[in-house]
Amino acid sequence: MEQQITRRNQVLTNHLLVHGEPTLLSAAPPLSSNSCLSYSPPDLNEPFSFNPTDMRVYLDSHNIPDRDWLFGLITQSQLFNPKQRGHKVFFSPDYNQSMEQQREMTMKRIWYLLEKGVFQGWLTERNPDAELRKFALFEVVGIFDHSLAIKLGVHFFLWGGAIQFFGTKRHHDKWLRDTENYVVKGCFAMTELGHGSNVRGIETVTTYDSNTGEFVINTPCESAQKYWIGGAANHATHTIVFSQLNINGENQGVHALIAQIRDADGNVCPNIRIADCGHKIGLNGVDNGQIWFDNVRIPRENLLNSVADVSPDGQYLSAIKDRDQRFAAFLAPLTSGRITISASAIYASKIGLAIAIRYSLTRRAFSVTRNGREVLLLDYPSHQRRLLPLLAKTYAMSFAGNYLKQIYVKRTPESNKLIHVLSSAFKATFTWHNMRNLQECREACGGQGVKTENLVGHLKGEYDVQSTFEGDNNVLMQQVSKALLAEYIAAKKSNKPFKRFGLEHMNNPCPVIPSQLTSSTLRCSKFQTDAFFLRERDLLNRFSAEVSQFQAQGESKEYAFILSYQLAEDLGRAYSERELLQTFIQTEATVPAGSLKDVLALLRSMYALICLEEDAAFLRYGYLSMDNAAAVRKEVTKLCSELRPHALALVTSFGIPDAFLSPIAFNWIDANAWASV
Amino acid sequence: MAPLNSTKLDDPQVLVEEKLSARILTLNRPKQLNALSFQMISQLLDLFIAYEEDSNVKLVILKGKGRAFCAGGDVSAVVRDIGAGNWRLGANFFWKEFILNYIMATYPKPQVSILNGIVMGGGAGVSIHGRFRVATENSVFAMPETALGLFPDVGASYYLSRLPGFFGEYVGLTGTRLDGAEMLACGLATHFVPSERLSLLEEALCKVDSSDPAIISAVIDEYSQQPYMKEQSAYYRLNVIDRCFSRRTVEEIISSLEKEILNKEDDWISATLQSLKGASPTSLKISLRSIRQGRLQGVGQCLVREYRMVCHVMQGKLSRDFFEGCRAILLDKDKNPKWEPSKLEIVSDRMVDSYFSKVDDEGWEDLKFPARSNLHVYAIAKL
Repeated sequence: MEQQITRRNQVLTNHLLVHGEPTLLSAAPPLSSNSCLSYSPPDLNEPFSFNPTDMRVYLDSHNIPDRDWLFGLITQSQLFNPKQRGHKVFFSPDYNQSMEQQREMTMKRIWYLLEKGVFQGWLTERNPDAELRKFALFEVVGIFDHSLAIKLGVHFFLWGGAIQFFGTKRHHDKWLRDTENYVVKGCFAMTELGHGSNVRGIETVTTYDSNTGEFVINTPCESAQKYWIGGAANHATHTIVFSQLNINGENQGVHALIAQIRDADGNVCPNIRIADCGHKIGLNGVDNGQIWFDNVRIPRENLLNSVADVSPDGQYLSAIKDRDQRFAAFLAPLTSGRITISASAIYASKIGLAIAIRYSLTRRAFSVTRNGREVLLLDYPSHQRRLLPLLAKTYAMSFAGNYLKQIYVKRTPESNKLIHVLSSAFKATFTWHNMRNLQECREACGGQGVKTENLVGHLKGEYDVQSTFEGDNNVLMQQVSKALLAEYIAAKKSNKPFKRFGLEHMNNPCPVIPSQLTSSTLRCSKFQTDAFFLRERDLLNRFSAEVSQFQAQGESKEYAFILSYQLAEDLGRAYSERELLQTFIQTEATVPAGSLKDVLALLRSMYALICLEEDAAFLRYGYLSMDNAAAVRKEVTKLCSELRPHALALVTSFGIPDAFLSPIAFNWIDANAWASV
Repeated sequence: MAPLNSTKLDDPQVLVEEKLSARILTLNRPKQLNALSFQMISQLLDLFIAYEEDSNVKLVILKGKGRAFCAGGDVSAVVRDIGAGNWRLGANFFWKEFILNYIMATYPKPQVSILNGIVMGGGAGVSIHGRFRVATENSVFAMPETALGLFPDVGASYYLSRLPGFFGEYVGLTGTRLDGAEMLACGLATHFVPSERLSLLEEALCKVDSSDPAIISAVIDEYSQQPYMKEQSAYYRLNVIDRCFSRRTVEEIISSLEKEILNKEDDWISATLQSLKGASPTSLKISLRSIRQGRLQGVGQCLVREYRMVCHVMQGKLSRDFFEGCRAILLDKDKNPKWEPSKLEIVSDRMVDSYFSKVDDEGWEDLKFPARSNLHVYAIAKL
């Protein structure tokens, strides 16, 4: 009887279902929900072969307790906009606020940090330790918000730095302590509507009135208006004004002066006009403004007189007679901006990578086998190839940034030129890398990368300007090539060995690249440096030859240089990447043998080989044969798979607290669940 | 089950009562203010692990016999062990204690700790990490380690750093005492129940038969009361605490406190300064660093770091302040420890760094936690 019923049921069921399909209804109850994808924290599945805390010491390099203190200060205050997402709290500015609101929040955060003593010693203490501490704290601020960092950077590094470096004791005594305590709020008016990188061409004019002992500053035409001046639109009370100095009818070139632009109540001073540069693609927490000067009178003492002065009766006095030299001496010490930009670009890259890699260790897509579990994004070789070389570059740049900071804080008059060249090369290289890295990280996070709260996408807008301010990247790289060329010409002319800018390798015989590249050769630091030496050496030779050739054809030296822009560009990159590789190797050498050192070696090889793969110069000029290039490409994929197990540990080593990453870096299912939204 | 008033020598140091699905564990060394012995810690650890697996158990209540909940780890026993030759014996004590703290912090079932008396050091470690902490008018909380040449351990760098503002730095560095009302206000306690209602509360809890924190919280709420906070409470001084204890270094904390009383007298600040100046300079510095790091770490990471630190302290190579502190406070009781280094300025960053590094001793290992099933990644204690 029962059998009959069952059979009857089956027949009926088969009638109801599409012919030939398996009996779905009896296989699974139709309305039971699929088991939801569950979030599995990568921290539980990815064992660490080294201790990230130890690795962090090489990455952050200095003032780690001070960094943690500041992270702690930020997370203890509501001002830094804590947001609960799932079971975690994240600290990030509310970028959905209006420009005006964001600017006010930036200022409030500065008051809070000021009260807690964060800026103590930033200008009043001048020793390497204090300077490194300032850099460290500044980097942490930037991890929270680029606007906040830039607002501080303008006040301390540009306004404060100008007084420190261009001013003399009377300026230091009068302004530094008040700046450190925000009694005055400074800005830095160099750029004009008509002139940016070419500071020597600015059109603001200052004359001296010996009857009153005052300077008179004027904006003679619209293109002379000061533009993009951070802090000028709302808050700054004082500014450094860059201006042509016209004494007794003779132009003495660009000088810097202090002018007050707002009174203590925040009202704009007489004869000053200020406008707002308006909404930007990022950094809307910074109030960039335009300034016009209409016969603004300032006391004679407000000229920053470290290299030149004007006597009360109106005589121009300077130890340096040549205008160009004077200008160079003037700007030389102001490299700290490029150093902090380089460092902050790397920290932004770290944020992007930490988020994208953590996400790629929890998000799955597509199964390889029918009904099999979907595959983790980072288990796709293609995904590894997208992110892991960027991770290696970011490591390389961290070490190089530390090296740059170290030589900066221990600077001597002799090392100024090196610092200038190195900081120019690194600023351009790091900020370009950051933008590419953020774009890749954004794409690697898919649609989630587009959400502002997930940071990776939004940071692109925030950091884009880094390739332009404090020296346009392309201009900076040209200066690097120019400096290398000058060194080259000088060495050839005097027939003396190279001894600057790391060009010493040019004194040795030309390295030879083996025709057969095995895996172990490719991973050997000797081979890697040889390849980088070869490229730099050959490009420098070519560049010099091409410039001479243009000159031989009757072009001026300047124009010959402009025409050789392709080689100049290649050479700048070759220099920068060679410096990076060398500092990587130096850092590696300080690490005791063990798993941490082994992972660093993998990263270093990845860095070297990805440079070989990406720069067409290696094939174009035949430093690598086609077979060699193929071997390099193959080795990169092997390195990817060897780095894959360390990916989580490597981003954990960045030392960025969870609260400064974003929801997709953690339990994104929780963060987006109905109960959480 | 032994009667509670038994005084036999082999009295169990932790009493266990089974009430339906609740388990009441009573720390039973009233003469030593329930200071945690190695045996107690081992027993608690075994019980907690067993209860986690046991589906018949839904709730664990922890309390102390006598006028203390628990006055801390049995430090004098540890010092005795180390004096006998091997500091690693002392380290074993902390290993086990920290594992217990971790198990509690990541415990899937609610733990209700009845803090009707002294809660210090290790006593805080076995209660604050649990879900519910019931304070009473008899509660006295303190982390007094810096006066002993130690530092706030047992996961304190986790829970102190999560108190409002910089209250945790204040509590951890000065070793100040908090009463039940203050504990509730700052979040160290979740409830305040007058002691006369405790037996009723216990009875009610034993009948709950649920692991749902919302239900248990509601039951405790029924017996709770809003306590009166004394006027001179430090909690009313949060402004000053935030202003001064947020400073970067111990020296800056002290000088900012001194600046506060430059023009006006203030007994509370003077007392605060006095306790800071009496504490071991090394302890102050490593404690501050530990709390600052703790703010950014999970409870597991905090305990791993504290284990490194405590091993350095026990090893006594970097400083012998801990032994000096125990001598002056616990053994000779002259209350006049001679700290070495004696001044904050002499304790360099490098010396502080060493406490956070691995211990160079054969066979020494970082703290390792037992595998936890279904561990939530955020393994957060409930503060």
